[in-house]
Amino acid sequence: MTPAISIRNLKKSYEDTVALKGIDMTIGDGEFFGLLGPNGAGKTTTINILTGLVRKNEGNTEIFGKDTVKDYRFTRSQVGISAQEFTQDWFFPLDKLLYFQAGYYGIPKAKAKDRVDELLSRLGLEEKRESRLRQLSGGMKRRFQIAKALVHDPRILILDEPTAGVDVELRHELWQYFRELHQAGKTILLTTHYIEEAEMLCENVTIIDKGRVITEGSPKALTNQLGKAGITINVTDTEADIESCLKDFTYTREDGRLHFTTQDPEEAMPEIINVLTRQGCHIQRVETTKSSLEDVFLSLTGKGINE
Amino acid sequence: MNWVGLWTLTSREVGRFFAVYRQTVIPGLSSSILYILIFGFTLERRISTIDGIPYTIFIIPGLIMMNTLTNATSNSASSMLQMKLLGQLPDLLQAPLSSLEISLAYIIGGTVRGTVNGILILIVGILIGDMPINQPAATLGFIILVSWAFSSIGLLLGQMADTWDRLSTMQNFFLTPLSFLGGIFYSIKMLPDWAQAASFYNPIYYMINGMRFTILGVSDSSPITSLIIAILMTIGFSVAAIMLMENGKKIKQ
Repeated sequence: MTPAISIRNLKKSYEDTVALKGIDMTIGDGEFFGLLGPNGAGKTTTINILTGLVRKNEGNTEIFGKDTVKDYRFTRSQVGISAQEFTQDWFFPLDKLLYFQAGYYGIPKAKAKDRVDELLSRLGLEEKRESRLRQLSGGMKRRFQIAKALVHDPRILILDEPTAGVDVELRHELWQYFRELHQAGKTILLTTHYIEEAEMLCENVTIIDKGRVITEGSPKALTNQLGKAGITINVTDTEADIESCLKDFTYTREDGRLHFTTQDPEEAMPEIINVLTRQGCHIQRVETTKSSLEDVFLSLTGKGINE
Repeated sequence: MNWVGLWTLTSREVGRFFAVYRQTVIPGLSSSILYILIFGFTLERRISTIDGIPYTIFIIPGLIMMNTLTNATSNSASSMLQMKLLGQLPDLLQAPLSSLEISLAYIIGGTVRGTVNGILILIVGILIGDMPINQPAATLGFIILVSWAFSSIGLLLGQMADTWDRLSTMQNFFLTPLSFLGGIFYSIKMLPDWAQAASFYNPIYYMINGMRFTILGVSDSSPITSLIIAILMTIGFSVAAIMLMENGKKIKQ
């Protein structure tokens, strides 16, 4: 099946900076995909090349098998972009701005009307349809950005930091809406600074840093493969010779508190408990801590996503 | 061709300046009325006629041209810069619109504003000065042609400018002086030889005299020369503005 987005060996340099050093990425039709990386990693440059805002130096970018430069009319009509930066406008009300946006994509006002009404209603902006953008709160502006991206009913939705600066309630509402859109068959490319957002929503993620892909896969596979889970066991009898029998495990000891690091806690736990019991230790308490995508990100890039 | 896209962006451009008509239509109208009242009626006592035309009526075609070309230029220039500064340009560049369609929409928007402003001064001339119009169709055609040429110049300037300061510098130090020196208030025959020779290098001189010919039937320059220069400017600046948009150097990274 033709992928929704295909990027091969994408390179881009600005005057004194190399932004992309050969990015490869494939996003399947209908996939919910996360593009993660610290600030300056090259996420926005990648998206901007894909959508025609930035010119690439080298490489191929395709949308549903069509080149984004040669077949730009087709590829751009397939994509809706909710940009991180809010658009400003001094002159026109919200509904008119949505009609304009639909018009740019070749949809006349009469045909766009139902879609505009539906989006304003679904995103809670119906009462503000006559308002100007400057009269909206930050959360409303964010919802308007999403409505604008969806007005021409694109097959691919690019969400660049879609929940930045919104309150918790709206963030949950938006997540629910993104899930609905995904279930309806849309391909979604998400960049976010909330890594748990990507972990929760995305089927696959790619982590990029300094213009290169560092790793890719499903959040679960990445945490299993690269993350380290922990098991903490409190024992009462600390005099027992437990060091020699636990030599196969990676752990630290603080008096009666043993902290084990493992990739698969479910397999390791019964074994550890068995060894400790054989040594006559009385186990008081067992705790497990699971590794997150954030830990994977931190270990691969050496920094947090907001750095 | 994305006709719906072109129509949408054009109607946005036209709607934008009509939405703020107090800034885009009224000032040109009121300042032209003041020019006619103050310059026309006061100077007419000293310069009663030029080429047999009463002085007040003589200056009106020049005022029409000045109003037309400054409005046409500033519409496309300020709209393009505003879109850049307000972050609206990505909406156009990411849409299935070609550089030609985007450029045409901006140029048409500026042309409409230039034409509307030119026609309003024409009406003022008829109402206040009882001005006859020699060739009404040619007058309208010339207003549209010059509007198109200067709207293209505006689109070039808007793409090149990064700040309002830079844009207004380009307008204040080139467009306005060239308009005044193009013979709005005088015939170049009243100037010394060197100043007459310098006027031949001012393209706005040909625009003003072309307009004066279509309305009053008198002109310092040959009407054919005025028409050819207006056509060449229209073609040249339209192509340049579209090519700069296609090249994307000033609007894409």
